[in-house]
Amino acid sequence: MANRIVVDPITRIEGHLRIEAEIKDGKIVDAYSAGTMVRGIELILKGRDPRDAWAFTERVCGVCTTVHALASVRAVEDSLGIVVPPNAELIRNLMFATLYLQDHVVHFYHLHALDWVDVVSALKADPKKTSELAQTISRWPKSSPKYFADVQNRVKVLVESGQLGIFANGYWGHAAYKLPAEANLMGVAHYLEALEWQKEIVKIHAIFGGKNPHPNYLVGGVPCSINIDEVNSINAERLAYVGTLLDQAFEFVNQVYIPDLLAVASFYKDWGAIGGGISNYLSYGDLPMNGYADVANFKIPRGAILNRDLSRVHEVDGKNHEEIQEFVKHSWYEYEGGDEVAKHPWEGETKLKYTGPKPPYQHLNVEEKYSWLKTPRWKGHAMEVGPLARTLVAYASGRKDVIEEVNGVLKALDVPVAALFSTLGRTAARGIETKLVATWAKEFYQQLLTNIKNGDSRMFVKDMWEPSSWPSEAKGVGLTEAPRGALAHWIVIKDKKIENYQLVVPTTWNASPRDPSGQRSAFEAALIGTPINNPDQPLEILRTIHSFDPCLACAVHLYDEKGRYVHQLNTF
Amino acid sequence: MIQSKPIMVLGIGNFLMGDEGIGVHAIEALSKEQFPEYVQLMDGGTGGFHLLGFFHENDPLIIIDATIDDEPVGTVRVIEPRFANDFPRTLSAHDIGLRDLIETAVLSAPLPKIYLIVISIHEIRSMVMDLSPQIEATLPVIVSKVQEITAKHSR
Repeated sequence: MANRIVVDPITRIEGHLRIEAEIKDGKIVDAYSAGTMVRGIELILKGRDPRDAWAFTERVCGVCTTVHALASVRAVEDSLGIVVPPNAELIRNLMFATLYLQDHVVHFYHLHALDWVDVVSALKADPKKTSELAQTISRWPKSSPKYFADVQNRVKVLVESGQLGIFANGYWGHAAYKLPAEANLMGVAHYLEALEWQKEIVKIHAIFGGKNPHPNYLVGGVPCSINIDEVNSINAERLAYVGTLLDQAFEFVNQVYIPDLLAVASFYKDWGAIGGGISNYLSYGDLPMNGYADVANFKIPRGAILNRDLSRVHEVDGKNHEEIQEFVKHSWYEYEGGDEVAKHPWEGETKLKYTGPKPPYQHLNVEEKYSWLKTPRWKGHAMEVGPLARTLVAYASGRKDVIEEVNGVLKALDVPVAALFSTLGRTAARGIETKLVATWAKEFYQQLLTNIKNGDSRMFVKDMWEPSSWPSEAKGVGLTEAPRGALAHWIVIKDKKIENYQLVVPTTWNASPRDPSGQRSAFEAALIGTPINNPDQPLEILRTIHSFDPCLACAVHLYDEKGRYVHQLNTF
Repeated sequence: MIQSKPIMVLGIGNFLMGDEGIGVHAIEALSKEQFPEYVQLMDGGTGGFHLLGFFHENDPLIIIDATIDDEPVGTVRVIEPRFANDFPRTLSAHDIGLRDLIETAVLSAPLPKIYLIVISIHEIRSMVMDLSPQIEATLPVIVSKVQEITAKHSR
């Protein structure tokens, strides 16, 4: 008899996610992924000034706010034929890189590490041995026995007070935890250090975007000016501070994140064969080095991979009506034309049609509509998006820096290329990407300084700012890569107002329901075959779902074979 | 003279979700009032971990957020939590919940003095940017609560 497990997240940012999975003989045999909250930003935007759209879309998500703003201004610029100045592109790249650095590190340490690191076991560690371990893998200075003993004491106080706080939701002591106590203590110490560090790096957003969270963007450029000598603009002192923060980020990623990632991964190599799921990968690419129109010069290349065939990268065109399409067969929407048709986002419709059970409910009827997420497809294929997809597209595109890093990690772990197509591969790809971004960010920064020294201070073009200069109808697409995957906004402008606006966000690609032909999306597919050691503590589900970095908080509800509620875990 | 940390008024919530965004609307209302320069107003939106720095760089910190609890809709309360456990679990989540944020902040440094102004709302509504009349009516109440607190800490 199959056990039914339900994962039902509680976030309200991008929408709740719920996963219903069936377990048989200690393995997941089928899974359904449902977004249980409607987003509806499309309806809010209709009729508004296109130049304001970024400020609304930035609020859709609490984690990747800046990339929504970026996708939005790009969609408007694309529709009106606006080309932003080189400095604006560089500053957008720096904002992008800052988000990646902060978000990937926070994901690794604060949203994912505790699926692999046992906090309670860290209490048993020998601080001296922990120090030796830390010094073997990195030259990071905070590695003395005293340092680790202090961290251990802080955690001990928390545990003994019964206030585990943020650590309270773990399955501590679970048989699937494999790290020695010393590695666990090192992980916990760096969890705390990463918290401190991430507060600093996001200050780059405030410097270039005026504030953080939710920094400012601008159609036609960036809303800041650089004047080396002026107090009120971005002056020499603040620019130098950006440089310092980027240096610190580079050091943290190379001396803490990457060594930890490799150390942890070396104990979980079996996860290089678990959680692979679908075999198609999509990246829109980003980080233009020669203007947004010159896709060949993106640091993160655009392309698609089918059937894990790394010898071929397919071209991707966000404007081609036959490429990116969304289905609503299993989604609580209706299309003019019925449930079997697919629509390109320019023709996309957001007509809500909830037919699910009245909450609270135990199970969704997965034969019918069961999600608020539409089902996006690329040329009819289900695609995984995210760090792994980007890394594979770059690898298959022959990007030397990416190939070198990927091969280095495979060699260090002594695993084959095929191990990339897995839960472990996703988590490793995120680290590899962070390391590359930390390097590229310094390049963007140097280029920005050079441009300014050479007298180029242009940050904004106002050519098409006035609506009187716009055509009566225009449409565009803004493609980018959120830390968690391919993100795009499509806009249709009519009579100076937004006529239609559609977002296809990364978690929609990964977490969407089946399409009309029954093909599973990434989450549903990746869970199949995942071993479940103890159905009361489905740590393994968290590992695979968290490896995608879903933009959601989760609560796991467990049901026994008769569908009775057994246990609930709140986590994120 | 010892340079003391600024006072911050931090409004959090999602203004795309109706009354859930009251914290952000409150910051907008407060920006029309006069405050001394050591008082900063911050629209924290749905900032999650991005807000963590504010817990260590300001003192006191005045947080404005919506809650769904058993109080009548439109109730405005000022809570002075001393420990992470004093924060109501019912507070809106904003992806990383406020309580999660506080439990995390306390791991790295002692918390500043915190005033939590919570507004009891009826429901979270997607696709709505306006406040319901009952919650709109709390804005002047919130403003005067903030004024009282900042006056108490005047420098």
